[in-house]
Amino acid sequence: MATADPIPVVSAASAASQAHLLVTVAAMAQEQFENLLANVAAAFPADSVLVATQNEFASSAFPALRVIVAPPTNAAWASTAADFVHAFQLAREENVRAVLMLGPGPGSLTPSALRELANAVLASGVDLALPRYTLPPHAGLINSAILYPLTRSLFATRIRFPQAIDLGMSLRMTERLAAAAQRFTSASQPDTLIWPVNEAIVAGYAMDDYDVGLRALPQPAETDVNAILSLVTGSLFADIEAKAAVWQRPRRLPPPRIFPDEPLRVESAAEVVRMVESFRFAYTNLQEIWSLVLPPNSLLSLKRLSVADPAAFRMPEMLWARIVFDFLIAFRLRTINRGHLLGALIPLYLAWVAGHINITAAGTSSERHIEAVAAAFEADKPYMVSRWRWPDRFNS
Amino acid sequence: MLNMLAVIFQENPYEVVPPAFADNTSIWHHMSAALNQSLYRVLSLFIAVLPGILAFFVALAVFSLIGMAISAILRRILIWFKFDDRMARSRGNVEWTPSSSPTDLAARVSFWICVLVGLIIGVAAFDTSYAAGAPLPIALLPYFTHAVGAILLLIAGNLIARFLARSVLIGAVNAQLQYARFLSLGVKWLVLVLTAAMVLDHLEVGGDIVELAFGILFGGIVLTLALAVGLGSRDLVSRSLESRVERSGERGAATHDSSASGQVETIRHF
Repeated sequence: MATADPIPVVSAASAASQAHLLVTVAAMAQEQFENLLANVAAAFPADSVLVATQNEFASSAFPALRVIVAPPTNAAWASTAADFVHAFQLAREENVRAVLMLGPGPGSLTPSALRELANAVLASGVDLALPRYTLPPHAGLINSAILYPLTRSLFATRIRFPQAIDLGMSLRMTERLAAAAQRFTSASQPDTLIWPVNEAIVAGYAMDDYDVGLRALPQPAETDVNAILSLVTGSLFADIEAKAAVWQRPRRLPPPRIFPDEPLRVESAAEVVRMVESFRFAYTNLQEIWSLVLPPNSLLSLKRLSVADPAAFRMPEMLWARIVFDFLIAFRLRTINRGHLLGALIPLYLAWVAGHINITAAGTSSERHIEAVAAAFEADKPYMVSRWRWPDRFNS
Repeated sequence: MLNMLAVIFQENPYEVVPPAFADNTSIWHHMSAALNQSLYRVLSLFIAVLPGILAFFVALAVFSLIGMAISAILRRILIWFKFDDRMARSRGNVEWTPSSSPTDLAARVSFWICVLVGLIIGVAAFDTSYAAGAPLPIALLPYFTHAVGAILLLIAGNLIARFLARSVLIGAVNAQLQYARFLSLGVKWLVLVLTAAMVLDHLEVGGDIVELAFGILFGGIVLTLALAVGLGSRDLVSRSLESRVERSGERGAATHDSSASGQVETIRHF
């Protein structure tokens, strides 16, 4: 499912290099690191791979592997700007053809998953290979509610995890991402999130995602959803704003992917009642702020939603798409302070989560619902483009 | 009794008795003289400060025109240099994204700098001419300069009050504090009362009375909040805090035994 330009002809210097692949790994426990090295050794011929790590390494354990020291970073749950800059510096120094950047806690990735991500770049002419993780139904919810639908509708790509923490990248893709990251590191913001999918779309590079099975995703140190949502969503909104000239052009979406229906029927969580109550409480207190951002139709729908029974609570897909788009517009226009704006989005997101849990509990597979949400975002993209260009036209 | 009767039956009881002391000038004459003197003093002061006022407006108008010209030239130069594109490429801090383009921003800043310079020069000219007319003081004029500062204080205070009230409201709602609106209103009025006291103090209205009243009012609001939270809403606060602690504990674990079949289900936002 490659989407754009093929990889260019590799230079003679890089072809002459012995190691074709640089694997960068974040700092981790020594036992996990040794497990990862075992997987890397099983996945690739020893002379073709180079591992860059922040861990201490005894070469006697894996004598065939070449391991170098990587500069320390603060990556705890996602790859940051500094990681991309360091990865490109190492790749250029070592003259490799591709980089496999593994986020924190990569021990659960199998050798075949590692091989698939690397081979996509080395052999299939893809510039950016992203993993498609198999997650439990109620995991990665910010990605399912906002990141995936928004990226899919605006940038016309079906990459399921736009903020994947493991990436296979060609050298030119690494260079591009390092250039984007350099702006943040030079502004003393090394921990800023980078959006590889958006960069690849802007550059016109080929990308695809690959099923890598189960992956234990590291969680942010700050377990509070308020902080995580503001951080991730704010970063994506800012990136979308910076790339407005690109995503407003009409693009054809790749054909839909066939995904297996989950036979698992997940029961409704006890959290649903609390989330719905949280939404109701916010509805009584934050109406004044929401009315600055949302059109009257959305407010009316939220009013109806606020009196719904928790067991039957559903956030309609079209309403959710419209809410996210309107918040994105308000983010761009600075209708209210951006911190306030993202804070006011949190109860609405929790309402979506409550609806999602109810829908999966009713027997609909989680992936099917997420695809329906993404389709609603796509259908409402003309509204988004229209309001982006003419913000004063407040469509109801 | 005989005297009383004599008074009652006298021919003209309202006949004016001529004063013991007689003056040729009437009270109207005195009033007229006082008004003339006052008018003369005001007109003299106005004539003394008129050049200053004219200089103020001329300086403001001239520098505004210069500002418009500089702004237009700067805008053309920056567009020619593709300044916006260069900034977009080199800008690392995406958190700082002004709603206007960098070119617009630079042009506006240059215009307003010129206006500010004109304002300063105009005020200096006015100040010189007013100093010349100082022998004829009018106590109201210094209030104009204070009033400008007071208005700026009032605007800033209102903006800060609104910002803080929203911050507290959103934070408290997301923290599920049941008294979110009450807290937000309390913060808003604290800042507004503080602003009002500062404005009155800046205008030198009220003197010590304002300070005293502000101290009592501010202290009263804080005490009321403390008593309300500490005594009246003790149960409410403890329930809110308990539920908050429980929630954060749940989020840390993020695991719920939710189904009848005992299936352990995890909610992970990322």
